[in-house]
Amino acid sequence: MRIMGDRKKVLLAPLDPVHDVGLKMIRRALDEAGHDTVLLPPDLGAGEIIQAAFRQGADTVLISRTLGYGVAEILARFADLADAAGLREQARIGIGGMAVTRELAAELGFDGGFGPGTPVEEAVAFVEGREYQPQAARASKQKPDLTAGYSYRFRNVRLGGLLDQVVDGFVEWAAGKTTPGVERAAWRDRWWQAEAWLAGQNQDEFYRRYPDLCGDLPRDYYRQGKLHPKTRVMTERERRRLEDRVALVRERLVPRQLQHTRRKPWVFTQYGTGCPFMDVAHIKTLEAWGADGVIHFDPSWGARTEGLVEGFLSHQEDGSVITPENLHRVKEALETATLWQVRAHRGLNTAETVVLAGKLGADLTKINIAYGALGGGTDPARLAVDGYHAVRWAAQYRMPFDVVTNEELCGVPAYKAFAGMLITAAVGVRLGARPILQPLFCYSPEVMVNGQMEDDYVDYNAAKVRVLREIVDAPVWPGAPIGFLTHSEDRVQSSLTTALHAMLAASLDVDAITIASSDEAYSRGPITAAARIDTLRATREAFRFLGATAVSPGPRADFWQERLLAGIEQVLKDVLVVGGFVPAMYQGVLGNREDGAYPGRAGANTVAERATAC
Amino acid sequence: MDALDVETFLVCADEEEGRRLARELMAELGFPEADIVFFEFNGPGARVRLRAYRHRPGDRYAWL
Repeated sequence: MRIMGDRKKVLLAPLDPVHDVGLKMIRRALDEAGHDTVLLPPDLGAGEIIQAAFRQGADTVLISRTLGYGVAEILARFADLADAAGLREQARIGIGGMAVTRELAAELGFDGGFGPGTPVEEAVAFVEGREYQPQAARASKQKPDLTAGYSYRFRNVRLGGLLDQVVDGFVEWAAGKTTPGVERAAWRDRWWQAEAWLAGQNQDEFYRRYPDLCGDLPRDYYRQGKLHPKTRVMTERERRRLEDRVALVRERLVPRQLQHTRRKPWVFTQYGTGCPFMDVAHIKTLEAWGADGVIHFDPSWGARTEGLVEGFLSHQEDGSVITPENLHRVKEALETATLWQVRAHRGLNTAETVVLAGKLGADLTKINIAYGALGGGTDPARLAVDGYHAVRWAAQYRMPFDVVTNEELCGVPAYKAFAGMLITAAVGVRLGARPILQPLFCYSPEVMVNGQMEDDYVDYNAAKVRVLREIVDAPVWPGAPIGFLTHSEDRVQSSLTTALHAMLAASLDVDAITIASSDEAYSRGPITAAARIDTLRATREAFRFLGATAVSPGPRADFWQERLLAGIEQVLKDVLVVGGFVPAMYQGVLGNREDGAYPGRAGANTVAERATAC
Repeated sequence: MDALDVETFLVCADEEEGRRLARELMAELGFPEADIVFFEFNGPGARVRLRAYRHRPGDRYAWL
């Protein structure tokens, strides 16, 4: 028993033909808090309720009204009668229920009004005459480690052996090579110091050589101050005002918890509106409505540019430019519990992005050699070398990285994409990093063509997660986003399909998911803050619906799981037959032109035999 | 047929300001009697669904 102040005598009465369950929940909380309560039966008139209040000597009366028709008139009549009878002199009166709004309560002169969704604690605070403090009611969010508890042991010894052989050959090939991207990353790692940069100290040594290591666009920026045509520098005034705004929002932000009784999955969303300031505004909204992590999404041209520029740069199209200032501004705005991922996975700045993200305190990064080379437009040998060093830096900066299989979106079958993902992950384990497997959890081109999801979206997605678990003890983070290509431009349908996939992911006990906004299928303009909230609310409800129980996949999930396992094994054998990971990417073993995979050309012929990195 | 809903996110300091902005927005759009169907405030502002009825049951419907 816990009483905040005096013990109260509370009369609870439904001004309805039926009971309001909310009133019963409040009564239970009041009883547990040690107050005296009486709950009247439904369907009493206003006069009968007022008489009962006098009889009990109530100092608080809580009235509920669920039915909406005539609510204002009925409650006004109750207020008039209570006034006339002198009940207001003895008791405070609060009204609540589905049909009640705070405005209505204030308009009618009630002491408190509790609309739909009001926490029970708020009603208890009203009874006890104290201000409701949502900050005190919330569970404090903690930043999780997605890789904690995983051994990275290969449960499937045969596949583990094949992967070992592939990794042996790859490491031997990549370790002695370098590229312009690796040279830049090594230079930044050595000479660009985040603390000195934050303190505004001179970093002349870094700038002495860095522009020479860049391509035309960054070099023109450093030498002539020339910007990318679709970017502009945010003003000092804008920067100051953003900082003020973030400080204000922080004071009143109460991060929601999306998970119900399960601890996982942690929920990530991508930002990348183009403008780092709009990004911050969206991130604070995402945090408020429960996102556990946010992912930096950069412009597509960034992957084809040798080098990074600087400044508070806004971009007029999708993707926020990676600069130290932009990343740092986002980092500074994050709540302490929010996980921050800076993706590096697919282009010519992969290694340098990992280094910069590590120096600026990112929690996670994203690296996948096979996807970037077969679906991201980067030359396979170039990305293999950059990826190898990027993984080493990810280990050095203690940033786990996910290995996405977006080549599936090009049409590559899952078993081939998974083989590429497992190779990159195995390289990560060999180099001391903490990879996270990221299978697509969506209606991919492969299943559209071959019919694996003709009946349902459950079995094949379940098979994909299960087969990875069968192979290796590693974290799994389906994405990206879950339910991709099942969304339409309708916000309700789009939120629902995200929520259903989130529920399935929770049922499969995965570690994290990346969700879309309800604007996922809308491509004619930027995502809105409201659309981001839609799917977070839907996901929260899905977790609530599922609780600790489970969705049970059918026997076809077992069939697909076996097929995937056999396919992955055959691909890994074929990789060894053609001479290893890099030849396999050029020769289509991990996805060929018929599948929709094309070895990229960006950065072709830039691999050299001298390694200066790491 | 019956109503116009406005779904948006309002930047506001608290619930009171958010509700005021919501009513002002609908009034500016020409709906002074609009209802706030859904309102959820946190941190940066409020997710809202605002409604203006054009035809309630029993009205003389323009579409008849």
